[in-house]
Amino acid sequence: MKTWLIELGEDLPAWAIALACVLFVVALGATMLQARRATRYRAWVILSGLAAYLLLTLAVLRPAMVRGRSVSVGAKVALLVDRSRRLDLPGGARTRAELAEQAVAELRRHYQGARISRVDFGAGAGESTTGGKNQSVPDAARLDLMTTLADLPSTLGERPNTIVVVSDGRWERPAAQGTDQDFELLEALRGSVLNTVSVGGEPIADATILSVHTSGTAVAHQPFSLRVEVGCLGGLRCDTMGIVARELRQGVAPAVLAHAEVRFADGPTAYADLEMTLERAGTRVVEIAIDTEKGDRILENNTRIVVFDVSRDRIRLLHVAGRPTYDVRELRRWLKNDASVDLVSFFILRTDADDTKTQNDAELALIPFPVDELFTEHLPSFDAIVIEDIDAKRYRLDAHLENIARYVEQGGGLLLVGGPSAFAGGAYAGTPLERVLPVHLVASGRPFDTVEFVPRVTDAGRGAALLEPLRRLVGDELPSMPGSNSFGPARPDAVVLWEHPDRRALPYRASGTPGPMPVLAVSEVRDGRVVVLGLDGTYRLVWSSLGSSTAGRAYGALWEGLLGWVMRDPRFESLRGELLGECISDRPTTLRWSLPAGASGNLKIQVSRLGDPKPVPRRIEVPVGKKSVLELSVGTLEPGGYSARAQIGTAPLSRLDFGCEKKGRAWADSRPDPARLRRLARINGGTAVGLESISKLPAAAATQVHVTRHVTSLLANWIWSLAAALALGAHWILRRLSGLS
Amino acid sequence: MATFFGLWLSPSRARCFGAAGTFQARQLTSGGMAAEGPRAAGLSRWGWEVERRTSAPARLQTATVALDDPKLFDQPFAVWFGARSVAPLTASEMRGLDRFLRLGGMLLVDDSDPADGQFGRSVQRELQRVMPETHPVALDDDHVLYKSFYIVERPVGRVLGPSQIQAIVRGRFAQVLFLSHDLLGALATQKDGTARFDVEPGGARQREQAIRFAVNIAMYVLCLDYKDDQVHAPWLMRRRSRKSP
Repeated sequence: MKTWLIELGEDLPAWAIALACVLFVVALGATMLQARRATRYRAWVILSGLAAYLLLTLAVLRPAMVRGRSVSVGAKVALLVDRSRRLDLPGGARTRAELAEQAVAELRRHYQGARISRVDFGAGAGESTTGGKNQSVPDAARLDLMTTLADLPSTLGERPNTIVVVSDGRWERPAAQGTDQDFELLEALRGSVLNTVSVGGEPIADATILSVHTSGTAVAHQPFSLRVEVGCLGGLRCDTMGIVARELRQGVAPAVLAHAEVRFADGPTAYADLEMTLERAGTRVVEIAIDTEKGDRILENNTRIVVFDVSRDRIRLLHVAGRPTYDVRELRRWLKNDASVDLVSFFILRTDADDTKTQNDAELALIPFPVDELFTEHLPSFDAIVIEDIDAKRYRLDAHLENIARYVEQGGGLLLVGGPSAFAGGAYAGTPLERVLPVHLVASGRPFDTVEFVPRVTDAGRGAALLEPLRRLVGDELPSMPGSNSFGPARPDAVVLWEHPDRRALPYRASGTPGPMPVLAVSEVRDGRVVVLGLDGTYRLVWSSLGSSTAGRAYGALWEGLLGWVMRDPRFESLRGELLGECISDRPTTLRWSLPAGASGNLKIQVSRLGDPKPVPRRIEVPVGKKSVLELSVGTLEPGGYSARAQIGTAPLSRLDFGCEKKGRAWADSRPDPARLRRLARINGGTAVGLESISKLPAAAATQVHVTRHVTSLLANWIWSLAAALALGAHWILRRLSGLS
Repeated sequence: MATFFGLWLSPSRARCFGAAGTFQARQLTSGGMAAEGPRAAGLSRWGWEVERRTSAPARLQTATVALDDPKLFDQPFAVWFGARSVAPLTASEMRGLDRFLRLGGMLLVDDSDPADGQFGRSVQRELQRVMPETHPVALDDDHVLYKSFYIVERPVGRVLGPSQIQAIVRGRFAQVLFLSHDLLGALATQKDGTARFDVEPGGARQREQAIRFAVNIAMYVLCLDYKDDQVHAPWLMRRRSRKSP
């Protein structure tokens, strides 16, 4: 399109043009006032004055003709398309994502000629409960429309004329309960029109867990309440709904922690408070599930995975010993000096063979060993148990060894300390407990040896974080021990930290040539951990020349490591793992492992599903190289709880538990929220429509852009000046003729 | 005595590996003093009584250890007894005693002549030099020493002595016990197995009470305040109420 116009004083500032105009008016007014005193030619004086001042002003302003060509460009339209996982929900016959794509296609047709830019938002938005303490969900991963809008000018490089939000309206910010100010566009977008297109479709019949209110932390053995909001949406009729919380553990079926029944009395949503207690510290994965209601069209949101970081208020420990010795004394003394330990001890102080020289038991301060009560009713309440040199058969412990094995498999910590009545000498060989031990027990042969020896630290022992405090104090030096229990070889998944310098492991079935006999060995058994110490002389870390040279601190260093490891104290893990981002079942999951200084060899990772009695682990092995941090993809995982066990070299295993969800919180509330879309459009001067009425959206006005411009002066500058001078001269003559001065 | 050694050699009674971690009442000496003869037999008898009456394995051999001997740090228990005043400790003896107690060792100071009390006072004086920040206190009547194995009413030895025990308590535990009862005098035997000293005011019951008290001390050395654990409280209360008239 061609255009032309006259411009004044193109090279002058605006104030100069204004001043010239003002002077012209003042001069003309003064001339008219003076003309009233003229005796003749009054009209000629005024006209000549007008001409003279006008030409003088034009000589200053020098008018020029500007001719140009402009083009009309389409309006800038930004299509903000919701790409969150929630859009995978059905919005009728098709998914909301498909409806959104249809909306985009129709908007492109509707705004034909406009310059359309598509900006997706909310991709990756969703969950924050499945990663536990190790997961950090950046804010950008939240479905935050306002942040996307704020970034729009920089994203597009210009301010759009029109913004169209295509969504189902259930984003996180602005929240439904936010103020109008929360919905307003930022200053940089003022003047833009914001329209919305709802692609949520009709509400779906859906029974769902809307939210789980938790901080993700709990204290072991302390009951706490988990508030769960459930919904019966989209016209689904639910009078009551069952809800259950199950802890997912390694290698065993899920354990029910709590269940409740909620009644829908006041609408489609209701709350349930699940009272539960997590007995084991560390990372614990809990599955919350509701009953499947008839007509429920979305089953994926009937289950949520919540990861708890369970800490200990106090460590609850059971210490059982078959006879009081200096070894028992030192362990008790060390434990009792730690105020964070809630110690329950049972020592056998009298046997049937003992002659107490009493008439009746009232003269004795002895109580029966409550073996049945301890190892049935109270067993789960302990974080770890120490069984020291006690004959399983004589003290009826044998009836509970299966219980103890199960306790370990379900996450308990077990430390078995040697002595004449420990292990094979205490009738433990061939019992159910043996399956959780890191060493094989052999019933035949001598159950123990009383030859003094100094344990030899293995390579694994040198690299084990649990022995690091001891190593810092005494290096590889250990005191002489007064004897050792007899063991078969270590199990393949066990780690031997100390071995006997002279004795060979007892032959066990067809295990080949026996190697050095393990003395201190550890293993991870499903959810639990076991330490086996085949000697009863650790008190010599206090009561020996070596012990006294460290002021007895070596004893605490050893036991702190052993107990800490068995109870998953992070300080004693060789590796530290964390989940990167969130685990969503249809996307690859990445784990990050921090490696100890000087780590070498291969990092072996085994990912197993929790709550599965016979899990098939996924194994990954990569060389460490010189890295201090390794990020590894473990591929896509099905929804559920997982345990990743990592091992570097021969060091003890480290473990990371995490949860993986199908769609996570994104699918928790399946209801579309068209009201929020309407409110957003109304507050920002736009129009809210549904998919079927996109054509009703106002058109976006085109923008004119000048592409060429020619400037030509109307007259040469000297002509303007000459004409002004002549006109001023003529005016002066007429003034004189009219009698004015 | 045959029973004595039979018990010691019996293979059916499991001990610790090599007996190293078992209870042993070692005689503590200072100033180069020779070990005292007659009462040293009480140490052996003490081990024997612990062995036959309780499940705790014990060593019957007597052992003597000097305050400045590194072997002092091999075990957590020693008995310092005598009738005469001890000479001021040398610097190395003071260091040895201090280190022993700091490691968590327990010391029984048994005055063989409580009527005179010279020994007890002199040891208290020396301990005051080693641990100037601590002072002996009387243990309560319900202290765990009175219920660590037997329920006993009071400390008893060769003499009836005071009804309370003075002790230096550090942390949770009584680390030094001061007895003015000549406990080892009550325990000491002759070669034929008969008692070496008569008890005062007398009677087999007093000697039995002294043995029971000695067993309780041994169990306190081995189990510390085990019998103070909450789980024992209701049982012990019932026992005590049954014993009371």
